[in-house]
Amino acid sequence: MNREVGISQLKRRDFLKAGLVFGAGASGLAAGYAAVPDAFARAVYAAKKEGMANDNILVMIQLAGGNDGLRTLVPLADPTLHDLRPKLAGPMVSQALPLNAQYGLNHNLAGIKGLWDKGKVAIVQGVGYPNPTFSHFESIRIWETGDPTRRQVDGWLGRTLATSYDSNGHPLTGCACGATDAPGALRDLQATLTVIQNQKTFGFTGGSEVEAAVGALYKGTPGIYGALFDTAIATATETMATLRTSASTYQPMADYTDKVKLVYSSKNQLAAALQLAAELIVTGTGVKLLHVTLGGFDTHYTELNRHDDLMGYLDSAVSAFYQDLAAHNMADKVLIATWSEFGRRPRENASGGTDHGAAAPLLLIGDPVHGGLYGEEPSLTSLDSTGNLKYAVDFRSVYQEILSGHLGADSTKILGAPFDRVSFLKAPVAV
Amino acid sequence: MSLAPLDEPAVAPAVNRPPGITRRQALAAAVATGVGVGAIRLLGGSMQQIASRQAASGTDWISPLSSESARVMHLLRRTTMGYNATQLEAALSDGFDKTVDRLIETKPAEPPALAVAYTPGGRFAVTDLQQWWIGHMLTTPTPFAERMTLFWHGHFTSDYRKTADDTFMYWQNLTWRRMAMSDLRSMLMQVTTDPAMLRYLDLATSTGQSPNENYSRELMELFTMGAGNYAEADVRESAKALAGWQLPQPDSYATVVVDKNNNVTRKLPVYSGQKSGVFNARRAYKGSVTYLGKTGELDTQGVIDRILAQPATAPFIAGKVAQHFVTARPSATYVKSLGDTFRRTKYDMKSLLRAVFTSAEFTSDQSYRGLVKSPTEFMVHTARALGLSLGSKIVAGSGSGMGQSLFDPPDVNGWPNNEAWISSNTVVERVNFATAALAQAKGTLPSASDAVHKHLDGVLSPQTARLFDEAPDDRARWFILLASPEFQLK
Repeated sequence: MNREVGISQLKRRDFLKAGLVFGAGASGLAAGYAAVPDAFARAVYAAKKEGMANDNILVMIQLAGGNDGLRTLVPLADPTLHDLRPKLAGPMVSQALPLNAQYGLNHNLAGIKGLWDKGKVAIVQGVGYPNPTFSHFESIRIWETGDPTRRQVDGWLGRTLATSYDSNGHPLTGCACGATDAPGALRDLQATLTVIQNQKTFGFTGGSEVEAAVGALYKGTPGIYGALFDTAIATATETMATLRTSASTYQPMADYTDKVKLVYSSKNQLAAALQLAAELIVTGTGVKLLHVTLGGFDTHYTELNRHDDLMGYLDSAVSAFYQDLAAHNMADKVLIATWSEFGRRPRENASGGTDHGAAAPLLLIGDPVHGGLYGEEPSLTSLDSTGNLKYAVDFRSVYQEILSGHLGADSTKILGAPFDRVSFLKAPVAV
Repeated sequence: MSLAPLDEPAVAPAVNRPPGITRRQALAAAVATGVGVGAIRLLGGSMQQIASRQAASGTDWISPLSSESARVMHLLRRTTMGYNATQLEAALSDGFDKTVDRLIETKPAEPPALAVAYTPGGRFAVTDLQQWWIGHMLTTPTPFAERMTLFWHGHFTSDYRKTADDTFMYWQNLTWRRMAMSDLRSMLMQVTTDPAMLRYLDLATSTGQSPNENYSRELMELFTMGAGNYAEADVRESAKALAGWQLPQPDSYATVVVDKNNNVTRKLPVYSGQKSGVFNARRAYKGSVTYLGKTGELDTQGVIDRILAQPATAPFIAGKVAQHFVTARPSATYVKSLGDTFRRTKYDMKSLLRAVFTSAEFTSDQSYRGLVKSPTEFMVHTARALGLSLGSKIVAGSGSGMGQSLFDPPDVNGWPNNEAWISSNTVVERVNFATAALAQAKGTLPSASDAVHKHLDGVLSPQTARLFDEAPDDRARWFILLASPEFQLK
């Protein structure tokens, strides 16, 4: 352990006392918890090189807005579905791609079905947490922090960065691709991470002269945002240098163009974000934890076409990404996992859509998984008092398997407690 | 201009100097520029322990807000879209109090009518809408109205994608501007019946028989009370009570050729002027509901009035206003006091904003540079400071990489603020915008040295001061100013 002064012993309490964390204010809303992300990362320098347990990589795909689990993994033989969803159930059942007699994938998930057939897709059913909230922002926060009691402010992946990797010296260890701000899951006061919206435009248009001037300008910036500004610029310049190298060596081995015929306009650029993720992975930049987001899942209205669009989007982007990784012999290192703040109400509403729900299935994709269905089938006849699906698997069980089984990280330390296991990995790391 | 020597006590810095720091160290950290104002002071407490580390400077800006002129500039930075020399002079001669009056009492200038907004079917390029609004921000004589419109656009948010009707988005912008400084009770009725909002949060398709909860939930969670101040059952019950609103009927239909080659035509709706939603009693819920503790029949006004009777509502809005205009972390006492004023004045926005701007917190030392300019503010401020007739096109096109595309918020919570505006991606984009703006600025620029005083109060960090001094010409000096952390703050 590199003992760089005594600074790593600085307690979080001290930062709070210094007033540097933006805790939930009086009107904290959801953004309130979003503590200054990589603000004092460089100041709080703590090398954790021994935390690198293996060279596995995680890509989290957020399906933002609340993905309809029943239209993702469709129950094929449950007549109750047609009572609950007179408008939506018919086509989704008849067109589904059967996995077995009971379940099928949404018909637009043909690429992922292909991976399923090869044993590379695990689906954990009935994932949720106790006393679910139906607020997007509260539930997103719970999933991001891994804490249903809402006390934790750091993201679960941010804590992983902070406890397991030396992200300070390597700002590309954690990367949000296709975003402009840091997703809550990756935030931690003591972790550095990179945010790249679009690789093609990521750089100083004024060239190296501007880059040098700005590098000098953003040093020792005073004030509460000072370190955050300085870290952002330092991270950006280091990342640009890395990308210059990686862009020159990376050859995509898959077609990332969106082939989905959209019914509704979309700002989604999931494929572009995953292509950037692939570039960072296959060129050996040392990236470990990646996060991308596909938005639009809040389907209160005309869900049929909207959700089909999104499934198609997800399918085409993930299929290309997997193909690219496989062609670069990296597929065995990379675990792809989806998450969403909640599922949707089993009963459809008057707008041809569904309201906020609770438990839903998660997809885990890649060579590291042992394909199949996990968890418990949620019952459509025994709903909870809010008319929602009851959860059977705590979402932190899935996190735990990812952390300890795939990344070889100390999941109990990161999540605060051990959870029941869901053994969806082919060869989990023994910790 | 040159840097003052390290040990020359020409500046008066180092307020609240913590014990254990020598005078020399304090001065070294607080070296200012030839512009003569102490730029920064040391932070006390445990920050001092990391002051030696590379990126955490451990220093804070020295607030110049004890001077009236600095207070006026602070007010303008936070309440306008930036200012040129004439606007600044007018405000300085009026003084702080009179400027507050003028901001609050001046009737908003209406933007010019947007002809394309009445395209049959309501679908036109969103960039037309963005450029129209930004064009108005760049030239309006009442920029505070635009700040408030932007505030409400982030609060009562809608996006053009889900709304799928740009005419409705145009109307919403006009409505938000007109209602911005009225009272919450009338605002909430306008928000509920706004056509874009009826689409965006699905109230237009909700019926008493099969209510859609989307609007009902966000009305309480995001618009008025905040999560935790109502029960899940309240969401369901007000969803029933609110059902029945529909989109306004078009005045006529136009036959439009949508596919020339095959001569396919469609009949698209045409509106002759702005309209709001209409209530259809046949789609409404019949019967009583139990909402926020009371049972009985309830209509939309009843739902709004019951929300206004909740103690959580006034501090929720007041807290959001305080976070937007004063500090990222308003204290509970401050929010309560603002909330009390808001409720006592029957939710009058003018009274709330006046209380905010005249509060001690607004001009406290802690408040100085305590907020990050939103991308739109940063860009329009840049254009106004440069006195540029900068095309609204470049502004509209540059927001997305910094995290703000107008009429297209990331989600129903609108835009995040302050620290969320700072990431490796957004800061680079801000610098790139400064580069692009200067590339467009032809001819002679206003004096950069003047700008240090007029836009940055003469308060620069040692790094900014050094680079400013080393810059070979005014264009380079402007670049340093616009790209500096100082200019990103307000």
